[in-house]
Formats: sequence, C-alpha cells, structure tokens
Amino acid sequence: MPVDYVETLVAQKGAGFVFDNYQRNQFLASSDPQAFKMPDLKKTGTTICGVVCDGGVVLGADTRATAGDIVADKNCEKLHKMADNICCAGAGTAADLEHTTKKFAADLELMRLTLHRTPRVGTAVTMLSQHLFRYMGYVGCALVMGGVDPTGPSLYMIYPHGSTDRLPFASMGSGSLAAMSMLETGYKDDMTIEEGKKLVSEAILAGITNDLGSGGQVDLCVVTKDAYTMHRNIMAPYPRTRIPKPVMFPTGTTTVLEEVKMLKGRLEVTDADVEMRDA
Amino acid sequence: MSIFSYNGAALVGMAGKDCVAVAVDKRLGVNQFQTISANFQRAFQVSERCFVALGGLASDVQTVHKEIAYRMKMYSLREEREMEPKVVTALVASMLYARRFGPWFVDPVVAGLDKDNKPVLAGYDSIGAKSEAHDFVTGGTASDQLFGLCEQFWKPDMDADQLFETISQCLLAAVDRDCVSGWGADVFILTADGTVTKKTLKVRQD
Amino acid sequence: MMGEWSSGEGLQQHMQSHGSVPRPVSNPPMEHRFMPYQNNGGTVFAVAGPTYAVAMADTRLSSGMRILSRNTTKCTQLTSKCVVLTGGMQAEMVELHKRMKILITQYEHAHRREPSVNAVAQLLSTRLYFKRFFPYYTFNVVVGLDEEGKGAVYGYDAIGSFERIPYVSQGTGAELVTSVLDNQIGKTNQTKQLEPLDKTDLIDLAKDVIAAAGERDIYTGDYAEVYVIDETGVNKSKVDLRKE
Repeated sequence: MPVDYVETLVAQKGAGFVFDNYQRNQFLASSDPQAFKMPDLKKTGTTICGVVCDGGVVLGADTRATAGDIVADKNCEKLHKMADNICCAGAGTAADLEHTTKKFAADLELMRLTLHRTPRVGTAVTMLSQHLFRYMGYVGCALVMGGVDPTGPSLYMIYPHGSTDRLPFASMGSGSLAAMSMLETGYKDDMTIEEGKKLVSEAILAGITNDLGSGGQVDLCVVTKDAYTMHRNIMAPYPRTRIPKPVMFPTGTTTVLEEVKMLKGRLEVTDADVEMRDA
Repeated sequence: MSIFSYNGAALVGMAGKDCVAVAVDKRLGVNQFQTISANFQRAFQVSERCFVALGGLASDVQTVHKEIAYRMKMYSLREEREMEPKVVTALVASMLYARRFGPWFVDPVVAGLDKDNKPVLAGYDSIGAKSEAHDFVTGGTASDQLFGLCEQFWKPDMDADQLFETISQCLLAAVDRDCVSGWGADVFILTADGTVTKKTLKVRQD
Repeated sequence: MMGEWSSGEGLQQHMQSHGSVPRPVSNPPMEHRFMPYQNNGGTVFAVAGPTYAVAMADTRLSSGMRILSRNTTKCTQLTSKCVVLTGGMQAEMVELHKRMKILITQYEHAHRREPSVNAVAQLLSTRLYFKRFFPYYTFNVVVGLDEEGKGAVYGYDAIGSFERIPYVSQGTGAELVTSVLDNQIGKTNQTKQLEPLDKTDLIDLAKDVIAAAGERDIYTGDYAEVYVIDETGVNKSKVDLRKE
C-alpha cells in the first residue's frame, strides 16, 4: 500500500496559523478595552442552498459580501470548487471560507493524485468537519457541500463547530430561512436537474429579496456524474435602478502641489509648486 | 473607537482604460486630537506595475509593507522575474490569513496593471478576505465616504487624466468628512507605457 | 467524616476540614435593562435652492437583517411649504411627527396663520431638547421655503442642536451621501468652478445620490420619495431603488 502521501502531509507541517501577534493584541485589548474593538470582519451574510436531484446535485449562492452595514463586494463568489466532482457553498466569515475551502481543495487534489481515486464527498466532509471541530467554531465556516461519487449524488451541511448533516436539500446563512421556505414548498424526490436549478434559483432569489445580508446575483453549480458546471450570475434579479449622470471633472480641477514622473528607474520632476511655502 | 481609527487613513484604488490609480491620505495621528505627521507614507510601489496601500495601525502598516517587500524580493530571487500583480493580491491574502488569530491591524488595497494592461484591483479585511473589483476599491477610516463617492463618480474606460481628476476629487471629498484622515494626499497613476506619475495634492490642513 | 455525603452541607464540611475554601454556589445576579431604542435604518437628505428646495428619503423600514416594510414614509408635510424628514427609529419618528402636527395646528388656531419654516425649525429644536435626558432616537431634517421664498434646509442632532445649512443628510447612508453633496453642491477642492446646477439637474443629482447610497448601504432601498418644494407648494413623487 502506498504511503508516500503521508510524507507530503508531513512536509506541509511548517505552514499554518501564526500566533505571534496574539499576545500583543491581548495587551492592546487589556490596556484600553474602549479603544480596542475588533473591526468589522468581512462576512458573507449569505444565502446558500443545495438540492439533490436525479443523478446530480445543484448548489446555489448569492454574491453579496458585507462589512457591517456596508456592501463590501457586490459580486463575490461563494461557490467553491473542491474537486472535479465536489462543490462547496460557504456562509460566514469571508476570509475563513476563502482560505479553508482553498486548503481542502488542495488537500483533496493531493489525495486524488496519491490514491488514484476521485475523492468521495463524505471524505471531504469529514476532513472539513474535523478541521472545524479542532478550531471550536472560531473558524467561522457554515457550509453546504454537494457532489457526485461512486455512491451517487449526496449533499451535506457542515456547521462552524464541526457537526454535519446529510440531507436531500439544505440551506445556510442569514437568508437560510427565506431559502428554506422555498425549498420546503418546492422540493420533490428525484427532480430533474432542470427542476433542481429552478428550485435553487427561486430559493436564492427569496434570500436576496428578503434578507438584507444577501444580495446581488444568483450563482448556480451543477454537479453530475459526467460534469461540473458553474453558472456564474445566472440571474440578475435587481439591476441597478439608476446609472448616475457621468460627472466629467475638467483637467486641472484638482490643485497639484508637486508632480513627479517615475519612468522606469528614473525620477523626473515635471512641476514643483511653491504654494506650500507661500501658505 | 477601534484600533483601526487610532491613526486614521483613507485609501482608494480606481481602474481606468489601460491605467490604474491609487490615492492615499498622509496623516499620521493619535486619536482625534493629535497629529504626529502630515507626511506619512502608506502607498508603496512594490513592483514596476503594482502598488500596495495600507490603512489601519501605522506600526502595522510599516511592518506589513516590509514583510511584503521581503517576500517579493525572495520571490524575484528564486524566480528571476517580478511578481505579477495578480500574485501580489494572493500573497497579501495568505499573509494576512496566516495571522487569522492574531492579526495585523491593516486594511490593504492592491492596485496594478497586468501584462495585458488590464487593471488589477483588490481590497481586503484585516484577516485576508480578498475582494476583487473591476471598478474601485476603498479602505481606511473614510471608506464609507469613499464608497458613496466612487459609486457616484466612477465611470468605465476613463483615460489617465480623467482618472486622476476623479480619484482625487473622491479622496478630497472623503477626507473632508473624516476627522482622522486627510492633511495631505498622494495620487499614483500607473499607465500602460510603464510610467508612474505621483501627484501631491493640496488638501485642507484641518 | 468519611461516610456517605448526603447533602451539600456534608460536602462543604468535608472541604472545610481539608482546609479548602468552599466555592459560592449561586450565580451572580442577572441585570435586566430597559433597551427602548432601535435603529430602523434609512437615509434622508435635503438640498436648498435659490427659490426651491429638494428633499429625499428612502422608504425601507428594517430591523436587524430583515425588511419590515418596503413602503414606509419617513416624511411628513407640516405646512403648505414645509416638510420634516426623519431617520433613526420609526416609532419615535411617528410620535414626533404627530406631536409636531398637533403643535402646528395649535399655533394656527392661536395666530390664524401657519408658522413659517423658521418657526417650525425652532419648534422642532425645542421639542427635541425637551426630551434632553430621554431623547427621541431621531435624526431630523426640516426643509421648506422661508418667508422670502428662498429654499431653507435645517439639520438637527437627536437632542435639538440645529443649524440652517445649504444641504444636509441623515440616517444610515449619511456618510455616503454627505461628501458627494460637498463635491457637487459645495464645490469643495475645485479650482475650475462648474456652472451651478439648475433645478432639474439638482433633482436628478439627488436621485442619483440616493441610488448610489442604496448600492452600498444595506438599509437604504426599495423606493425614494422626492419632495420638491417651490412657489407652487409641495410636489411629491417617487423613484425606484434596489429592492434587494
């Protein structure tokens, strides 16, 4: 039995989280708790969901990322490709989702290369849930993961603390209630992929419309035995209502005190104003 | 008050047609009432075609810049080529995420031009959640104001002159409504022929 | 001493005899606090012109991450040439607007004419300061035509400090709106003065600005009410904003 992949995993041990700043930050926090408030981390106050269909799974997500009450990104990607047969939709802390899914996508690929087998969805779920359990919920990932493997199509939910569910349909994020209302109304066993796409779109649309944390466009991902198909921005339900009348500031509107042209490796001062000394 | 508004900052990156610009303020303050410097550098040219601007805690701004510079030098020694802006955006994200549980208090913006002279823009939170944009990215304590201004004034396919006026007007209007940033501003414009123009703006000193 | 422990006392005795201090068993007292305030979101702003004034307010009412209503007004017309707009908490806004209407009716009965915009503005300030130590959680704008027929805009804080200014914005999208107005109406930091905006330009700008705020502020959206106050009176219309 080949075990050389163990060496690959051992070689990666140097990487991982760095806690160098932890003590300093704790000190800052204790010196002035008033001044020290952790800032708004980028969250994907999200709607994500998925449905198992006949011969495949359909996953969906909205595209809004928020920082507090401001939209930080109007068109981010929340559907992450884990492998050629597995897709993962993420809700929660944006940084955790982005990096955790990327790490496990790499791990799954290494595993595929060493074992010469397509990874199973259950394997990916176990890997992620063990990671999240280890970090006791501090890695803020709420996931809906789906894919097709030799056991057929399957869909899982993974919570930030590491618990998992296997379900025929699932939703997560701040818009999960809106999405679930559509899924509970429309779900049937053994739907066709097209029916599944329609249901998932409607569920995400419900989240976009009714949840303030969700918005933007609808992304869909369809995984079948033969293909992994990403439908980015398949639906743009609420286009911008007004394009602002373009404002052309005439050249020279802004006062420039000094202008320096940096040509490749050479400095050239083209216009130095003396206004600062006059003032 | 958060540690992010201790020193104050305003940064914005904007895309034009075959050009890209970064504008930053220059104030280094201690809370609202004391200004240490009106010539603090927070935008750095990290390669020929890429800028990193950093908001947040000033000591971390300098440390993170040094760390980025170090890693990029190591990269060019190993690879014998400069790091592409797209790679810089990934580098910053993974650098920040390594310190997920003991972060640098920085708010970075990366702006550059890739090989096809297409603008590359990325904004982050302090733990490395990257958001790529085709139009503009903002950061610092004046980011709310900048969001409003950029939504109103950004338009596609601006030339370098129009891009300069637009980004400058956005930054100046933003820092005037944020009491911990301002006191001077620098605008860097990167164009397809490889020139970088740095313009120092006249800003209210209050 | 080493027999079965039948109660907590036994345990305590046991621990004391071994020299350890017993732990307090009860939980610390729980504090219940009255939290009467909430922010229902929304953006309002107003701009004064030479012979007119433009006011704008979105109609979304939200709580936390939910939309409670897509069509709730934040504006009340107080006189034939005066409107008050309020951001903050909706219940307080309703109460405040109602009270303002009563007081203005009383004024009309006492003086046989409606109050000027200036008088309404002063009245609102007095009402707000009356509740100095239990304030209305409201952020107000009074807009109208003054006695000379000029556009008048007054901005307030929650406890009645107010000022007549050319333009003002309040609410969750205020930061996004204010600096755009600084640039387009205040013309700050510009050496080349563009021509001043005419009435239709100004109304279009106001609509653009609230749409831009709706792009980035999650609490601003659905519709915007547009009030144009001129010599013909108060003219009201509505524009669409994002519904997401």
